[in-house]
Amino acid sequence: MSELFPRKQVMGFVFSLVLTAAALTVYFLDVSFAVGMTILLATAFIQAAVQLVGFMHAGESEDKVAIYANIYYGIAIALVTIFGTLLILVWDM
Amino acid sequence: MKTDNSLPLEYGTEQNKLNILGFWIFLGAEVMLFATLFATYFTLEHRTGSGPAGAEIFEITPVLIETILLLTSSFTIGLGVHAMRLGRKNAMMTFFAVTLLLGLAFLGVEIYEFTHYVHVGAGLQVSAFTGILLTTLGTHGAHVTVGLFWGLFIIMQVKKRGLTPETANKSFIFSLYWHFLDVVWIFIFSFIYLKGMM
Repeated sequence: MSELFPRKQVMGFVFSLVLTAAALTVYFLDVSFAVGMTILLATAFIQAAVQLVGFMHAGESEDKVAIYANIYYGIAIALVTIFGTLLILVWDM
Repeated sequence: MKTDNSLPLEYGTEQNKLNILGFWIFLGAEVMLFATLFATYFTLEHRTGSGPAGAEIFEITPVLIETILLLTSSFTIGLGVHAMRLGRKNAMMTFFAVTLLLGLAFLGVEIYEFTHYVHVGAGLQVSAFTGILLTTLGTHGAHVTVGLFWGLFIIMQVKKRGLTPETANKSFIFSLYWHFLDVVWIFIFSFIYLKGMM
């Protein structure tokens, strides 16, 4: 039975729950906007990395380089889209 | 067909490897799709018109339940793929079924949440904010709905044909999709709900 629950995945799950609890501090504690966003950015991106590397096995095959290049490209375009939009339409720079 | 036995079954053939790489490229495109939704959300989140703001309608309890359900389902499908690699067909199908049940529960809570929003006057057409909020959440929810049917068909095929390079490949690709839905939810949870309630 225990062979069905590999340590790596159980630890990944527990770590994800801890990160979720850490993110919840911005709701339950009285933090400033800047501190809150810093906490959320950290917990969200670490948790996404746990999923991609730990659960989705992004680096296990010979296509590792192509898969990581594709993920980084997707994230880069996503960040340019989001922060480009914020710069022009919200922060008015 | 040449099968490489040094790798897990789902990578066993050239076609299988290309399917997995191709699906990663699809997920890259999905990242960009959700990026445009988030960009629009951040632009419109304060354009509430005469409708309610996020802080007035978001409730922590259902959001937290949804988060735990999806996070746990992402864990159980990971266990499903692990069981598949051990050749444990029944354990794998059980983990996949548990995953889908958790996904169904998630969808149930989300549907409750949507009816609640409409009930408190935050329907799709009320303001720019409610429009983009429900579009973003709805796009994620639609992905979960598709995943439920896809996963059901995967389980049926594994039951019928057993673990072959083809069914293992399909199951693994479905697990990538399901994990990805949890990744998107992490960002919705953090930057729509928690940021809105902060």
